[in-house]
Amino acid sequence: QPAHNNQGLDLLSIQSESDLDLSLHSLEQMGFTETQAEHVCAVFSQFRGSTGKHALSTITALFVLGLNAASMLKVFEKCPELYTVREAQLQQRINNLRKLGFVEGSLQRVVVHYPQILTVPAKKIRNRVAFLHEKCLFTMQQVTGILRDSPAIVMENIDHLEYKFQYVYFRMGVKQAEMVKSKLFRLTLDEVRNRHCFLERRGLYETPDKNGQTMIINPKLDSVLNCDEDTFLKVAKASAEEYDVFKRLVEREWQQQEQQLGSFGAD
Amino acid sequence: EKWAATRPKHPPTNLALQHFDATYSAQLGQMWPSVRCALLSERKYGALFNNFSQDALLEDLEAQGCRDFISNIETEVQPSDPADGDAVYQQLSALQLSPNIRCFVFPRGDISRFKPARPDQGGFLGYYLMDAASVLPCLALNVQEGHSVLDLCAAPGGKTLALLQTYSIGFLCVNDSSVSRTSRLRKVLRSYVPKQHLTNEKIRISTLDGTKWGEIERNTFDRVLVDVPCTTDRHSVLEDDNNIFSKIRTGERRRLPQLQLQLLQAAIEAACPGGEIVYSTCTLSQNQNAGVVEQAIAWARENHGIQLEVVDLRPLTHMFRNTFHFARDLHLGEMVVPHLAANFGPIFLCKLRRLT
Ligand SMILES: C[S@@+](CC[C@H](N)C(=O)[O-])C[C@H]1O[C@@H](n2cnc3c(N)ncnc32)[C@H](O)[C@@H]1O
Repeated sequence: QPAHNNQGLDLLSIQSESDLDLSLHSLEQMGFTETQAEHVCAVFSQFRGSTGKHALSTITALFVLGLNAASMLKVFEKCPELYTVREAQLQQRINNLRKLGFVEGSLQRVVVHYPQILTVPAKKIRNRVAFLHEKCLFTMQQVTGILRDSPAIVMENIDHLEYKFQYVYFRMGVKQAEMVKSKLFRLTLDEVRNRHCFLERRGLYETPDKNGQTMIINPKLDSVLNCDEDTFLKVAKASAEEYDVFKRLVEREWQQQEQQLGSFGAD
Repeated sequence: EKWAATRPKHPPTNLALQHFDATYSAQLGQMWPSVRCALLSERKYGALFNNFSQDALLEDLEAQGCRDFISNIETEVQPSDPADGDAVYQQLSALQLSPNIRCFVFPRGDISRFKPARPDQGGFLGYYLMDAASVLPCLALNVQEGHSVLDLCAAPGGKTLALLQTYSIGFLCVNDSSVSRTSRLRKVLRSYVPKQHLTNEKIRISTLDGTKWGEIERNTFDRVLVDVPCTTDRHSVLEDDNNIFSKIRTGERRRLPQLQLQLLQAAIEAACPGGEIVYSTCTLSQNQNAGVVEQAIAWARENHGIQLEVVDLRPLTHMFRNTFHFARDLHLGEMVVPHLAANFGPIFLCKLRRLT
């Protein structure tokens, strides 16, 4: 295993002293400052007992990955459950991400940004990847891009994910490459639908016909989705008041539609 | 969920939208996207309060958070309004609104809905749900004590009901050429108005072709409301059933402005000298609104020697500017333009006074 820094090497030797407890001292030895070490211990203490014993191996693995003390602290704050993951699993999950195309740098970034990704079994991630690649026809490179930009999709309900993809593909007429660029999978289906329907009712967005033709020029998906609400309102040429009322109105519309569909289904 | 298109290729709602995109984007310019979105989204209603009902509904309605937009203008009109405040304030007193008409609406941006009205002990319903902007033509008609009033295209009767709330009509003629719609109107009246107010001395309901009214009864009525059939913009973009943009109704739709003109002409003839006529539609279309009124004024002058004056309704729009979005700078009449936060209209109204 590559261990690029001294800290990592230190750690490996510490780890070999098998049942070493996690102490302020040992943490400071690993390169945490005193305050950081106190912080880590405080979070750890919640996970004492059966699960807490993986804490040290987790820290070790993250050090080996090249995370420094400050980013590791961030990781623990975002995702304390990480302490409960067994070392072998953690290694397997990290290796799995490497295999999926995460190179050094981007691998570390995704772990810091969304540490929950290491709590998901490798098999589940591979299924998600297969879904994106085989069902939605993203290239493997695009899939890696999606995981990098929107790692949270590994936790998302697969039906929601499929619906969101189909909505954008069929209803909005947008191809895969543009979806990746617009960071589509960062948004919930409701956010996507709100923005699209708002534009559509304003006459600023049109579903392309079979040949991909529209009467008007649709704005790029990127400028619709990959921006904050103020910027979006400029694209929509609308006031915040209008969009606010609109969101509440369509929420009720969709709820009613679902209720109707539900009652038909029950017959 | 299937995304494959199983709908007909050119449903009437699509045809309507295409037509409006072409004409209204030219007419309304920058405002069209906003109006379009409002037209395609859920409309707001007003609850026309039924003074004939015994139910103590006022508190109930107020507790739900709505208010009568007509009587609440006091707080809205500030004499200190820097713009044209004083002049308008003076005109307001000149503009006597038909009294006793009350219409409840939820505040701007509030999307609450009204519950369906329930009958009181006597079986009469407490309110009638309609576009709150539809009350404006009735208010503008300015019915005075003892007036004889003609409602030329009355079914299903929302505006008739509003006019009856004034209690001041001497005699009311209610007409609609459609038999089925007139029977709906009768039903509405029976559910809202006690029999003693619907006697033959007080009201007459007919099913005549309104365009012929000038041949029947000329120079008769103090007030004439002519709420003509039109492209009903909101209905046309939302409902495929009974849609005037369906291919088979193209002829009928093209003839609308002509029919509207004939109805307004008949209304002008039916009014007495000094009498007042309110023309109204629920479309944004210039051809069906100002276009029709202009032609009718010219026709009356040239063919009948009738001089008409267009009555300034700006005091009215000023009074209700916090409830509705009014179009700016129309050269003739006033128009409520749909807006998501106040999703009423479209309603166009223009008031004429017969000078001769
Ligand atoms: C906009 S609707 C009237 C709505 C009504 N004023 C209300 O507030 O409930 C127009 C009406 O005009 C009627 N109409 C159409 N052609 C007519 C004609 N030639 N004479 C009289 N009424 C006519 C239609 O049957 C329709 O009911």
